[in-house]
Amino acid sequence: MYELPLLTSSEFVTYLLNGISQGMIIFLVASGLTLIFGLIGLINFAHGALVALGGYGTLLIADATGSFWAGLAGAVVLVALLGLVLERSVLHRVYERPLLGFLGTFGMYVVIEELLSFRFGDQARQIAAPFPGSVSVMGASYPKHRLLIILVGAVVAIGIGALLSYTRLGMEIHATATEPETAEILGVDSAHVYTLTFVIGASLAALAGGLTGPVTSVSPGMGMSYMILAFLVIIVGGMGSFKGSLLVSLIVGQITAFGWLFLQPTYVRLGVFVAAMVFILYKPRGFFGKPEVFE
Amino acid sequence: MSTVAELRRYFTETRRWLLVPVVLLAILPLVSEQHLLSIATQAIILGLFAISVDIALGYVGLFTLAPAAFFGIGAYSVAKLVVDYGSSFWLGFPAAIVLAAVIALLIGYGPIKRRIGLVYFVLFTLAFGVLVHDFTYTTTWLTGGSNGLGYLTAPTVFGIDLSQTVPYYYFALLGVVVVAGLLYWILSSDYGDVLHATRQNEVRMRYLGYDTDREKLIAWVMSATVSSIAGAMYVATVGIASPSLMAFSLTGEVTIWVVIGGLGTFFGPFVAAFALTIFESYLGTVIPEGYLLILGALFIVFVFVLPDGLVGLLQRWRDGE
Repeated sequence: MYELPLLTSSEFVTYLLNGISQGMIIFLVASGLTLIFGLIGLINFAHGALVALGGYGTLLIADATGSFWAGLAGAVVLVALLGLVLERSVLHRVYERPLLGFLGTFGMYVVIEELLSFRFGDQARQIAAPFPGSVSVMGASYPKHRLLIILVGAVVAIGIGALLSYTRLGMEIHATATEPETAEILGVDSAHVYTLTFVIGASLAALAGGLTGPVTSVSPGMGMSYMILAFLVIIVGGMGSFKGSLLVSLIVGQITAFGWLFLQPTYVRLGVFVAAMVFILYKPRGFFGKPEVFE
Repeated sequence: MSTVAELRRYFTETRRWLLVPVVLLAILPLVSEQHLLSIATQAIILGLFAISVDIALGYVGLFTLAPAAFFGIGAYSVAKLVVDYGSSFWLGFPAAIVLAAVIALLIGYGPIKRRIGLVYFVLFTLAFGVLVHDFTYTTTWLTGGSNGLGYLTAPTVFGIDLSQTVPYYYFALLGVVVVAGLLYWILSSDYGDVLHATRQNEVRMRYLGYDTDREKLIAWVMSATVSSIAGAMYVATVGIASPSLMAFSLTGEVTIWVVIGGLGTFFGPFVAAFALTIFESYLGTVIPEGYLLILGALFIVFVFVLPDGLVGLLQRWRDGE
C-alpha cells in the first residue's frame, strides 16, 4: 500500500510557493514566446538565448555597479535593444516564411549561446540576491527573493494583460493578429506593431533570465531548458493565448514542486512532454487558443 | 526552390561524377594518418545521417527536431545487445532498423495523418526528441543513464579485425555507399518526384489521386530507419552509447549541415556533414570552443542569404548568374 508522504503545513506552504515562483519564471519566458508566436507566427528559438543574455547582463552590470536593480534594468534595456536590432535587420524579412524564421532564430540561438560560453566559460555563476535571507510566511521560513519573483511575475501578468486589453497598442496587436489587411486599411502600422511586440517579448525573456539568476544561477545554456518547457506550456495553454500561458505555467510549476514528492524530477518533465504531444495531436489550440486570436 | 524537372536534370547530369568522390574516399587510407582516418570514418557516417535527415526535411518538408533520437536509438540498440546481452554485433543492425521503424511509425502516424501544421510538427518532434533523451538519461537500469553503455568494439569477420581503424573505415564506407546508393536509387525514381511534388503542392497531388499521407509516412519511416543505421555504425567508432548521441545539440548540428548543404539535394548534406566534421577536428586543435560558433554564424548566413545551400550556390554559378 502506497502511502502519501505526510506534509507539515510549513512544508506545504514552501512547496506551494516554490511551485508559484517556478511557474512565474516559466510564465515570463512563455509569455514572450506566445506574444511573438501569436502575432507573428514565428517560432522564436533565439528566445532561450535572450533569457541567458538577460542573466549575464544582470550579473555583469550588478557586479560593476553593485546594484541588482541597476543590473536587471540595464540587462532588460540592452536585450530589448538587441531584439529591436534583430527584428529590424533580418527577422522582419522572413515572417512570410516560417521555416526560414525558425532556422534563422535557431542559428542566432547557437551563436549567442556559444559567444557566452566562449567569453564566460560553461560553469554556472551565481547572482547575489537583492534581498538576501528569508521571511516567515504562514509558519514557513521562505527566501525573500522567491517572493520577489512571484511579485514581479504577478505585476508583469497584470501589466501585459492590461496592455493587451485596455490600450490602443493592445487593440492594434489584436487587430493585426486577427486580420492584418483590415487592420492596415484602418490605419494600423503593422510593421511597427510587429517590432514593438518582438521588443516586448525580448524584454520579458531578459527579465526572466535576470530574476532567476539568484535562484538557479546563470549559465550559457540556461535558456534552453526553460524555452523547451515554455514551448510546451504555450501549446497546452493555447498558442497566442496570454491567459493560457499564465494558467498552464502555474500548473506546471505546481506539478514540478509537488511531483518531486512522488517521482523523480525527470519523470515529471517526461510527463509534461507527453502531455504536450497529446495536446498537439488532439487539441492543438490548447485550453484557450483560438486561431490567431489573443484573449 | 527548383522545380522537379530541374532537379531531375541536375541528378542525371551529375550521376557520372559520383564515382569520383567514392574513389577518392576509397584511397584515403593510403594517404592519410590514423587519426584523420578515424575522424573520416565518423564523418562519412555522419554524412549518411545528414542524408537521412534530408529525406524528411528536404524531400518531404517534414521539419523534424528528433533525428538525434533515432540516431541514438540505433546506437543504443547495438550497444545494448553487445554490452548487456553479449550477443553479436551484427544482430544490432536488424534490431536498430526494426526498433527505429516501429517507433517512427508510432510517432509519425498521428501527426502525418492529422496533417498538423509545420509549427506543430516542429514542436511535436522537439518534445519527442527531448523525451527520448531524458528517458535515456533517467532509466539507468535500461540504458546505463548518464554513464551510457560501453565499451564495445566491432568484431572480426573473415579474418579481418574490424576494430582496427582502417578495416572499420572500409566497412563504414561500404555500408554508407550501399545504403546511400539504395536511397539514391529510390529517391531518383518516380517516388522521389512524388515527394518533391507533394512538398511543393500537396493539395494538387491529392487531386491527382496520390495518397500523400502514405507517401509522407513511408519517407518519414525511411528517414528514421536510415538515421538509426547511421547511429548503429557510429557507436563502434566511439565505443560507448551515451545520452550525448541523442542530445538536442546533435539534432541542431545535423539540421545545420542539411541546410548548408542544400535542402532536398541529397549530396549537399553529405558533403557539408563530411567537410564540417573534418573541419571541426582541425579547428579543435586551434580553438576548441570555436566550432559551434563558426557553424552557427555560417548557418545564419546560409539561412538568410543562401537558403538553397551549397548545391544551390553551385547551380547558380553553373547557370552563369
